[in-house]
This record gives sequence, C-alpha cells and structure tokens, in this order.
Amino acid sequence: MLRYLIRRILYLIPLFFGVLIIVFVASRIAGDPVRLMTVQNPRITAEARANLSAYYGLDKPLYYQFIIFLAELFQGNLGNAYGIRAGTPVATLIGDYAWLTFELQLAALFLSLLIAIPIGVISAKKQYSKLDISVTTTSLLGTCIPIFYMGIIAIILFSYFLGWFPYGGAHSILPATYPFGSYELDGLWHMALPTAILTFATLAPIVLLVRSSMLEVLRQDYILAARASGLSERSVIYKHALRNTLIPVVTYVGLYFGAMLAGAPVTETVFNWPGVGRLFVQATTKLDFPVIMGITVFITIMTLIANLITDITYGYIDPRIRLE
Amino acid sequence: MMKRKKSARPKLQVQNEKKRSRGVSQWNIAWRRFKKNKAALAGALIVGFIIFLAAFDSLIAPYRPNDTPGFYAGETRVSPSLKYLFGTDYVGHDVFSQVVYGARSALFVGFGSAGIAMSIAVVVGLISGYYGGFVDNLLMRITEIFLVIPFLLILLVFLRVITAVAPSGVGGLSTIMLMIGLFSWASNARIIRGEVLRVKESEFIEASKTLGASKRRIIFRHIFPNVLHIIIVLTTLMIATAILVEAAVSFLGFGDAAAITWGQQLQKANEAVKEAWWEGVFPGLFITLLVLGFSLLGNGLRDALDPRLRE
Repeated sequence: MLRYLIRRILYLIPLFFGVLIIVFVASRIAGDPVRLMTVQNPRITAEARANLSAYYGLDKPLYYQFIIFLAELFQGNLGNAYGIRAGTPVATLIGDYAWLTFELQLAALFLSLLIAIPIGVISAKKQYSKLDISVTTTSLLGTCIPIFYMGIIAIILFSYFLGWFPYGGAHSILPATYPFGSYELDGLWHMALPTAILTFATLAPIVLLVRSSMLEVLRQDYILAARASGLSERSVIYKHALRNTLIPVVTYVGLYFGAMLAGAPVTETVFNWPGVGRLFVQATTKLDFPVIMGITVFITIMTLIANLITDITYGYIDPRIRLE
Repeated sequence: MMKRKKSARPKLQVQNEKKRSRGVSQWNIAWRRFKKNKAALAGALIVGFIIFLAAFDSLIAPYRPNDTPGFYAGETRVSPSLKYLFGTDYVGHDVFSQVVYGARSALFVGFGSAGIAMSIAVVVGLISGYYGGFVDNLLMRITEIFLVIPFLLILLVFLRVITAVAPSGVGGLSTIMLMIGLFSWASNARIIRGEVLRVKESEFIEASKTLGASKRRIIFRHIFPNVLHIIIVLTTLMIATAILVEAAVSFLGFGDAAAITWGQQLQKANEAVKEAWWEGVFPGLFITLLVLGFSLLGNGLRDALDPRLRE
C-alpha cells in the first residue's frame, strides 16, 4: 500500500507543474500586467511603466519569471494583493476566505453522498418502478438546471415569498437579528439554503451514477452465484454488490470535487457567500493578478489532493488496483 | 395497397426485397430504436423548438433586439401580461423578446464549442488509442493536465483581460466559444481513446492489417466508423455542457455585453430578485430546457447507436 501511495504522489508532481505552466502562460498571454494595472490611468508615463515592470520583475524573460514564481511558491509566498485589501499577503487573504468555501462544499458533498448512495441503490433494485422513474427524472433534471438558476429560484421562493431564509451572506450584519441571539445558529441559518442547493446539484449526477453502476454489477455472474447459494437479498446487495458499485462512484467524486471547487465562483456569487470563489470574481474584476494566481494555484492543489484521496480510497476498495 | 399492386408483378417484388435487405443498416436499426424512445424524441423536439426560435427570432419576437418598449411608457419591471408575455426588465426590455433572441447565442456557443472540443478530442483519441506507446503516453499526460485545470477560473481571467485591453467587440461570444472549446476536450478524448483501444483489438482490424491496409486506411475506414456512435453521443452532451458554461460566465458578468444571452439576463435578474422574479425565471427556464433537450437527445442516441445492444 505504501509503495502504491508513493507512486501516486510522484505521479501528481508533473501534473502539478503542467497545470502551473499552463496557468502561468495563460495569464501572461492575456496581456502585459503593467499595462493592465495602469489601464485606468491615462496620465502614466512610459518611465513609470518601466519602473513598475522592473519592480515586479516583469522585464525579465518569461522562463526566469516562472522560476522566481516557483521559488517563491515553495516558500509559501504568493505575493501581495494590490486590488483587494491592498498590501495583504495573498496567502493570508486565501486563508481568511478558504474555510467558508470548504464548509459549504464539504457539507454539500458529504450530504449528497449520504443521500445519493441509498437512493441510487434502491432505484436500481426496483428498476422501471414508479419510484425509479421519478428518481431518474428528478436527477436528470437536476443535472440540467444551472446551479445559479436553482439558487435564484430558491432565493425567490424561500427568501422572498416565504421569508424563511436570508437572501445571502454568511452572517447577519447586526447581532440583534441573530436567531435566539446565537452567532452559531445565525451561521447555520445562512448556510442552510446554499448547502441545500449545492447538495441537490451534486446529488443528481451521483444518484444516476450509483444507479447505473449498481445495475451493471447486478448483472455479473458472482451476484448470480451469491443468490444461488441462498444469500438474502439484503446481503447480496449491501455486502457483495455495493462495494463494487462504489468503484466508479469514488473516481467520479474525486474528479467532481475539483469541479465543485472550480465552480465556487458561481455558487458563491448567487448566495453572496464570502468564500474564495467570490473573492476570485472580485479579484478578476479588479485585475488583481497575485490574488488570481494564488487562488488558481490553491484550487489546483486542492483538486490534486482530492485526486490523491480518490486514489487511496480506490486502492482500498479494489485490491486489484493496488497490486497492479 | 401499394404492396398488393407490387405483388402482382413478381419481378418488381424481388427487386424491392433486395433493396430492403440492403437498406437495414446500423443507422436504420438505430433510427428504429430511437423512434421508440419517448424521452429521446422529447429531447429532439425541444432542441428543434429552440432551433426554430433562433432561426425565426425576428419574426417571433414582438420587439427588436435593443428595443425598450417599456422605457418611455414608464413600464419598467412590470409583471407578465398579454402585452409583455414575460414582463419587462429594469430598462423596459420585453423579457420575452430577449429570451427569443438569446436562443441564437446559446446555440452558437453550444455548437461552436462542441465542434472545436470534439475535433481536438477525436484527433487526440484516435492517435493516442491507435498508436499507443510513447505518443499515447505523452498525449494522455497532457490530457490529464487539462482535466485538472480549474478551467472556469482561467476562462474568467482571460475574458476580463481581453475586455480590459482590446477594443470592445473582441471579447465577444466567439472568444467565449473558442475558449470553452479549447479547454473542454480532455474527458472526451479519454473516452474516445478507450473506445479506439477496444475496437483496435477486433478481428476485422487484424484481417484488414493482414490484407495490407495502410494505417491511414485502418484508422479512417475501419476504426473511425466504429467509434462514430460514441463521438455523436459525446458531441450532443458536450453542446449541453458548453451552453451551461457560457451561461455561468455571462451570469458572473464576464460575458459578451454586446450579445443577448440568457446568462446575462439572469445576472441582471439576480440583482432584482426582490422586485421582479420574472426577469430571471424565464431565461433560466430556457437554459434548463435547452440543456435538458440535448441531454435527453444524447442519452437517447447512446441507447440507439450502441452496436452492442441488439433487440
């Protein structure tokens, strides 16, 4: 298992560098950062521009800049923001916002797995029943509705018409409006609607996947053998079939978590949730490159970690992969 | 009636039969299966409906694209009525007309991005799957990089920078389409490669090699037609994804300000959920409808075109 783990980690390193290079090049191809910084200032002189270039090291060749970027990155230095809370180290800035993003995304992922797996299994068990048809229809619809639209509808319904939940944000501005005067309850109250929507959006594709994977597994010979040897249906499904059903699900969840994080700008904008996603949108609007690069690198690392966890779980569920 | 007439002339009937037996191709079987699938037909109907809207948008929409009929009449943000089917927005645009004009943008980005992404995916998948070895290794590592990249983030930065530097008009829908296409081929390339690997092992490929067919002939004449069904399905689903991504980008305010898109309408609506629910509900409904249409169509095609499934 250890050898397997080390091999997986070694495998992720070139992947990480590859992503870094593409992100770095893409951010440079787009335009000269100094020109972008000063685009709103018509009176800037060429000399001032050159000074800025020299100050940020932008007059050096591109590969040299990349090496400096890497060297600083490994010392945990992502530079200082110049648009949002100007002067704050980007690492600090991300640290302040990351927790709220994780809170939302992990809660939604956990809840959706908790709900999706049993639903998918039951749906597969009773294939073509009314329950199965309504489950698959709802799930398919869930994969087609853009998450921001779902969010807007939820806000219109539950915040505007019913008044049950706040319109957005992570906390009330005035302590007087906390439910029962508790800060924690206020946080949960604000979190409820975004978590519910994100859960539903995450849930839908997982249900479909669990269902189709279960159907596939139930057709295998060893399930027939298990049934023939007189095992109860419960034992066949939850002990023999479920474990194999989960293999594609684990792969998917690992990849999906990265997509969820990268999609954070959308989710967080709808609910005005102060996480890294909304921070990214603000930084992009203000062309704050250190923050932009910082968040991109941060999300890439998180995605790679999610992939690694996937690989480990994978090796645990399916011993064949570990031995390979 | 026709049949009985023909049976009176035996010679013709023989010809007819010959023709029919040749006519039952894989495509005919697929079409027969597709016709039976109600969900797939519904998908095709939805897509057809939206294409119809886009093709005749100026005839269907009661107002011209940038008309603000409600502005001078003081009818900004009025709720749906017979005059304004879906109500009006903050400057008095007729929401229904805007929704109709949005269809063309959505389809343009959907088809364009899917075309670009699938062209790359097919080339990478075919080469990687057929040649194997070093080429395969290299291409698959590049594919993995593109799978991990937080693509939405890069897209947002790119569009923001382009609108900041270049004169207006450059960061338009075509740029969005191109960027979505260039960054979303990876997962499709992987699936096509897997399929090529499966077909490559078939006996008829072996036979064709033995007969001395060139590599090019094997790839284009034997492998490509056998993975075509997967490509068609993936393209349909890719269109759906591209439409969703474009909507998300527009919703965040990085879209093409000169074009009318459903995502942008939702962005404006998000600022006004308290005043005018109709501003957002209808454009969003159409995004969902179109994406649902392509998804149903894709799933239906998957069931219909899979050569391994036989009645």
